[in-house]
Amino acid sequence: MSSWLAEAAAVFAKDWRAELRTRFALNTLGLFAVTTLVVVSLALGPIGGSPNGPSVLSAVLWLILLFAATAGLPRLFVAEEETHTATALRLAATPSALFTGKLAYGLVLLLALEAITTPLYLAMVQLPVASPGLLVTVLAAGAVGLAAASTLVAVMVAQARARGTLFAVLLFPVLVPLLVMAVALTRQAVSGEPANVGLLPLVLYDASVIVAGLMLFPAMWNP
Amino acid sequence: MKTLLAWILWLWIALVIVGALWWAPPLPGFQAGPDSSRIVYFHVPMAWTSFVAFLAAGVFSALYLKRREPRRDAAATAAVQLGLAFGLLALVSGMIWAKIEWGEFWNFDPRQTTIVLALLFYTAYLVLRLAVADHETRRRLAAGYAVFGLVVAPFLFFVAPRVLGASLHPEPVINAERELKMDPAVLWVLLSGSAAFTALFFWMHSLQCRLAAIARRNGLEA
Amino acid sequence: MDPSTLDGGEIARLCILAVNLIIWTGLFLYLLRLSKKVRAVEQAAPEADHEP
Repeated sequence: MSSWLAEAAAVFAKDWRAELRTRFALNTLGLFAVTTLVVVSLALGPIGGSPNGPSVLSAVLWLILLFAATAGLPRLFVAEEETHTATALRLAATPSALFTGKLAYGLVLLLALEAITTPLYLAMVQLPVASPGLLVTVLAAGAVGLAAASTLVAVMVAQARARGTLFAVLLFPVLVPLLVMAVALTRQAVSGEPANVGLLPLVLYDASVIVAGLMLFPAMWNP
Repeated sequence: MKTLLAWILWLWIALVIVGALWWAPPLPGFQAGPDSSRIVYFHVPMAWTSFVAFLAAGVFSALYLKRREPRRDAAATAAVQLGLAFGLLALVSGMIWAKIEWGEFWNFDPRQTTIVLALLFYTAYLVLRLAVADHETRRRLAAGYAVFGLVVAPFLFFVAPRVLGASLHPEPVINAERELKMDPAVLWVLLSGSAAFTALFFWMHSLQCRLAAIARRNGLEA
Repeated sequence: MDPSTLDGGEIARLCILAVNLIIWTGLFLYLLRLSKKVRAVEQAAPEADHEP
C-alpha cells in the first residue's frame, strides 16, 4: 500500500517538476482562462447585480474552466508518448498509481486555475458571493470530476490521431451532467437561492468517474 | 425454426401496433391531440431499446477487455450503432410529439437534454473508432469508452432527469413502474412494445454481427 | 365496427394503422431476406476457404 502511494506521489512529483521547468500547461491554462474572462466581462459588463446575472455568470465561469481544461489537459499523456517515457513509466508504476498521480497533477492544475480565475472573474463582473464556503466546495468538487474524466480520456486520446478535438468530443458528453450540477450549485453559492440539486449527486458522480477510471485505466494504458 | 421465431416476432409487433393505434386508449391529459399521444407507444419502447443496446455494448466491451476476441468488439460496435438508431428515433418521435402538444420541438426538458447527451456520447464512440489507425488499439480504446458508458448511460437515462431540474413541465417517465395510476391497457401495450422492440434489436444485432464475421473472414476489416 | 358508423378520427387511425403494418411488414421481410442471404454466404464459405 505504501509503495503504491509512493509511486503515485512520484508520478505527481515528476509531472510537477517537469511542469515547473517549462510552465507550459500553467501558461496555456492561465492565458486561455484570463483571455476568455476578459472577453466575457467586456461583453457582458458588470451584470453581477442584475436579475439574470448570477445564472449567466455561473454558467460562463464553468464554460471558461471547461475550455481551459480542454486546452491544457490533453497533454497529460501526450508528453509521455512524444518523449518516449511511456515505456519506462509502464515498467516503473502500477497503472492505478499512475492514474492517481496524473489525476492529482491535473487536479492541482485545475485548482490553481480556479484560484486565480475565480476572484478575478467575480471582481470584473461585480458578482457578490452569498456563501463562499459552498462556492469553494463546488469549485473543488467540480475540479475533481473534471480531472478524473480528463485523465481517462487523455490516455485514450494519446494513442489516437486528431488529439485536441477528439479530446473535447469524447469528454463533453461525460462532463455535461457534472457541469450542469456544478453550475446550479455555483448559482446557489453566489445568489443564495437554493438549487434543485444538492452536493451529494455531484460528489457521487465524481466518485463514479474516479472508480470507472481506476478500473478502466490499466486496460487503456497497457496494450 | 428461426423463420418461425421471426414470424412470431412479426405477429407480436403487429399486435403491438394494433394495440397502440386501436385497442389501447390515448393517454389522458393531452388536450392538443389526444390521439397523437399514441406516439408514446412508439416513443417509449424506442428509448428503452436504445438503453438496452447501450448496456449490451458495455457488456460486450467488458467481455472484449477480458479476452481480446474481435467478434466481441464487433458485437459492441453493432450494439452502439443500433442504440444510436433507436435513440434517434426516440428523440425525433418525442420532438414531433412535443411540437404537436406544446408547440415547440425543443423544450429544455431534462430528459430530452440527457437523451441528446447520451446520443452524443455514443456518437463520440464511433468518432473514437475512426481516429485510431491500429486495429488492436482501436478495439481496446473503444471498448474502454463503452465500458465507461455503463456508468454514464444509466446516469443520463435515469438519474440525471430526476436530479437536474424538477421545475420543468412533467414528461412521461420511461419506466412505467412510477405511474401507479396508469391504465392497465396502456401499461400492457407499453411493456409488450418495449419487449418486442428489444427482441427486434437482438435480431438486427445478430444479423449485424454475422455480417461483420463474414467481412472479417474475407479480410475486409472495418 | 360497422363502416358506416366510423367517424373521421377513427378512419384516420385505421389508415395510420394500415400504413404502420405495411411499413413493419416491409422491414420484416427485408430482414428475413437478409438473414437468408447471410446464411447462404456462411454455408458457402467453409467449403471455400481453409484459413483459420
